[in-house]
Amino acid sequence: MFSKLIYRNAKRSRKENLIYFATLVIAIASFYIILSLGRQDVILFLKEFESDSIDKLLAQMPIVYLFALFLLFFLILFANRYQLNRRSKEFGLYLLLGMRKKRLVLQLLAEGFITSILALIAGLLIGGFLAEIISLTVSKLVGQGIIGHQISLSAGAIFFTIIGFLSIQFIALAILGGRLFKQEVHQLLYEQMDKKQDMGHFTGNVLTLLAGAVFLGVAYWVALYRFTDIAGLLLFVAVALGSLGTVLFMRGFGKLLGLLASLSKNKSTKGLHTFTVRQFQENVANRSTSVAVTSILITLSIILIADGASTFIGLESVFARSSSVYDFTVNGDSQKIEQFLASEKMEPYVEDLNLLKIGRMKYKDERGENGIPLSLVDWSALREQMIMALPDNYKEQVLSGEIQSYSFSSENPEALNLFGVLETDTTAPYLIPESSYNGLLKAIGKKTLNLHSDEIALYFNPDFMPMDNLESMPVLDHILEKAAKEGKSLMSIHDQAVYIHPSIPMRGLVADRSVQIFSAFIVPDHMFEQLMNTETYVAYWNFRIPQKLQDQEGLLKPMMEARDLLKASGFTFESYLQNFGRKLFYVVAGSYATLYMGFLFLIIACTVLALQFLTQVKQTGQRYVTLSMLGAKRNQMKKSIHRQVLLTFLLPVSLACVSGAVGIRAMIAFVMIHIDDKASLYPIALASACIVIVILGIYGVAVARSADHELDKLRWKPNIE
Amino acid sequence: MVRQGKLLEVQDLQKNYGKKNNITKALNGVSFDVLPGEFLGIMGPSGSGKTTLLNCIATIIKPTSGRVLLHGKNISAFDSKDLAEYRGSRIGFLFQDFELLDNLTGQENILLPLSIHGVDFAKARAKLDELAGFLEITDILHKFPSQMSGGQKQRVAAARCFITDPDIVLADEPTGALDTRSARTLMNKLEGMNRTSGRTILMVSHDPNAASFCSRILFIQDGVIFHELRRKHDETREKFYERILQVLAQLGGGSANVL
Repeated sequence: MFSKLIYRNAKRSRKENLIYFATLVIAIASFYIILSLGRQDVILFLKEFESDSIDKLLAQMPIVYLFALFLLFFLILFANRYQLNRRSKEFGLYLLLGMRKKRLVLQLLAEGFITSILALIAGLLIGGFLAEIISLTVSKLVGQGIIGHQISLSAGAIFFTIIGFLSIQFIALAILGGRLFKQEVHQLLYEQMDKKQDMGHFTGNVLTLLAGAVFLGVAYWVALYRFTDIAGLLLFVAVALGSLGTVLFMRGFGKLLGLLASLSKNKSTKGLHTFTVRQFQENVANRSTSVAVTSILITLSIILIADGASTFIGLESVFARSSSVYDFTVNGDSQKIEQFLASEKMEPYVEDLNLLKIGRMKYKDERGENGIPLSLVDWSALREQMIMALPDNYKEQVLSGEIQSYSFSSENPEALNLFGVLETDTTAPYLIPESSYNGLLKAIGKKTLNLHSDEIALYFNPDFMPMDNLESMPVLDHILEKAAKEGKSLMSIHDQAVYIHPSIPMRGLVADRSVQIFSAFIVPDHMFEQLMNTETYVAYWNFRIPQKLQDQEGLLKPMMEARDLLKASGFTFESYLQNFGRKLFYVVAGSYATLYMGFLFLIIACTVLALQFLTQVKQTGQRYVTLSMLGAKRNQMKKSIHRQVLLTFLLPVSLACVSGAVGIRAMIAFVMIHIDDKASLYPIALASACIVIVILGIYGVAVARSADHELDKLRWKPNIE
Repeated sequence: MVRQGKLLEVQDLQKNYGKKNNITKALNGVSFDVLPGEFLGIMGPSGSGKTTLLNCIATIIKPTSGRVLLHGKNISAFDSKDLAEYRGSRIGFLFQDFELLDNLTGQENILLPLSIHGVDFAKARAKLDELAGFLEITDILHKFPSQMSGGQKQRVAAARCFITDPDIVLADEPTGALDTRSARTLMNKLEGMNRTSGRTILMVSHDPNAASFCSRILFIQDGVIFHELRRKHDETREKFYERILQVLAQLGGGSANVL
């Protein structure tokens, strides 16, 4: 008998309160997703190149898991409280019939257990499915099929999901059961909405609202203009002020809503307008704190989703090989490598093989004052021209000697970047023989250089020096062109005038980062031999995976095969895979956690709003009966309910949109959101806004339908069953 | 179409509960008329069917057979849309537990039926002031129900009920939740509304005291009308009260069933 009751009650809970059950399922699914991260294809793939960072990332996952557990505990607590509130009358009846409270709590726990088991089954299935989809989507986006797919099912993840969920569910039920103990039977039987309709004093409310607005304003100002002051401490100030401001704002606003009801006389006689506003007010004013908390959660989720999305959009740049040419760079005994690369097993993977020689220029034999070695290069003429080309404000700084160091960024004008690089590098510039660079130019299908014996070309490394266009440098070319017309030489090396070749296409010299230089002089081969400091000489064999092979098998698969062969050979080498893996890691690590937390916050906020609203509908159901006695039509009441739902969601969401926009703005301004050009911000903002709106919409519709259902269930025939 | 000045006609009303083998006849052929301006009371012991009767008239439940005519229209056959038009505008309700919406102020509660039926507030302004003055609730119009006493709540409910000028007011134990003083004040006001503005009121009550304000009382028992009392033209309320008590004592074959 008893077990039947438990079973039936559990079944009814699931049926009647889909939102409650869905909340449990969502909680479980999200646990599983975070716990099974280590089994995601991308992570497994990355583990091969970036195992240290991946291990570090995975080591942090338990923290994320605990945090999620902590957050979802409150969600579960809230959902259970709602569920128990709905049933308080029933509990009162059990007690009235003589059931002992202890037994009632035990029954609740047993019911909770059955519901939990079913929620676990559903949640794990959904979580597993989602994890699988995420895994497949990401690996598809990343590897076009090369990342081998493995079922992401993870026994450990399932185990910890079950443990974590059951424990929070039982803690929540135990807390709520304890509370049941304390309530009197009468309270349970006749539980109602708080009858308090204390709307405070007008001035007090206005002051609260104003205080809230001021706090928010200060928080926005701090976020936008003073974000990084005092070692980022102001960030916390902004968050604290923003949260406090939101709470105060909601409190004042909620209580003042009554004004809206009484002021708009024209509207107040139209249908259920007054009723709708008052219902909304009751929901907001009596629970201003939790409305404010949902608003804060939505704000955070907007910011996190925008951040995660922008990082993920950075995925494109992972594939963009704008400046990278070579797939592999091998370093070591030049001849042995050449032999190995020409060997039968290796040969199919090698194309555009090129030996990159590099070394620094010698100094003058005599030393200057203080024993500082003197440069062979005299570029004063070029320097002068470049200073002339600088924007005025920089020009003054340079001429007055104010600038001590240079930073290179895409924000700077090209001339400044160029000037900075040359100013730092030209004392003993790196030298690259013309033939080496010609190999690279050939590989990318460009015209090779044909330098005169007194001609050099300037090389700038696009990996370190941001440039708008890899093919040419207009500012430099302008200066060079002018000099060429006048037949002037802008530089001399070893007291011999040299002429500078117009700018050439710039590409990365090696596959990843074995050569980390800002600039170099590309010189005729004889000049290289003559000027190069032999102690600094290094040579790298660079090659690419043949285009044909890439067309057949994609880039990554042959690259992995070649990598395995090279690994076995024992040579020092690096590959584009590392470059790719590193970039991918930043994207994946950056976007996974933020997107996860973003969605989690959003779902928690939505569930809280939904349950809160449905609790109100449930508790104030009698009002709708009264309305119907006064002649309100069913669809009139449903319309009112739908408007209430809309307002309930809209209020926290609109404030969250403003705060979220400020947050995103601040993050862009302080380069936490990685957006290369501002224009790409808008689609990201739009996309994340759409996701948030869609999720809110789903919840809104679900709530409205549940409320309709609740309305239909009301006893429309008072006193008679 | 108004038939000979009858406002409400209840014709052979029957209401059964339960299924085939286990039928309870809550109303077993009740017929009576209500004339305009009447203050009609319906009394009877628990389970006599008086609430069922009121609910049938209130169109909250559908009778098994029989008709309820308001101004000659069979409102018991109305569908829910037509009913909504009637409720609150042509028929006013007064409940035992007031049924005020506690998140609306007194005034908002009173005006609610108007806004539901889309009546312009400006026209109702004078009406509101008049009603509030008469019912002595002007001071509490801007208070919430939780800040009012029981008697005040019921008078606010009464104002809400009269604001739409309904043809008939159905009151279900309106004094049931009030103390004697508040109950008397309320009944005085209802009687006043009935006398001065000619409001038709149909009241169900247990309370002989409250019933003594009526001009006519129907006693029902076991689903049928059992007796009828009319207050004579010059009869005092006290005398009428005595007569009511006598009838109640006879109801159900003795005092055991009463009260």
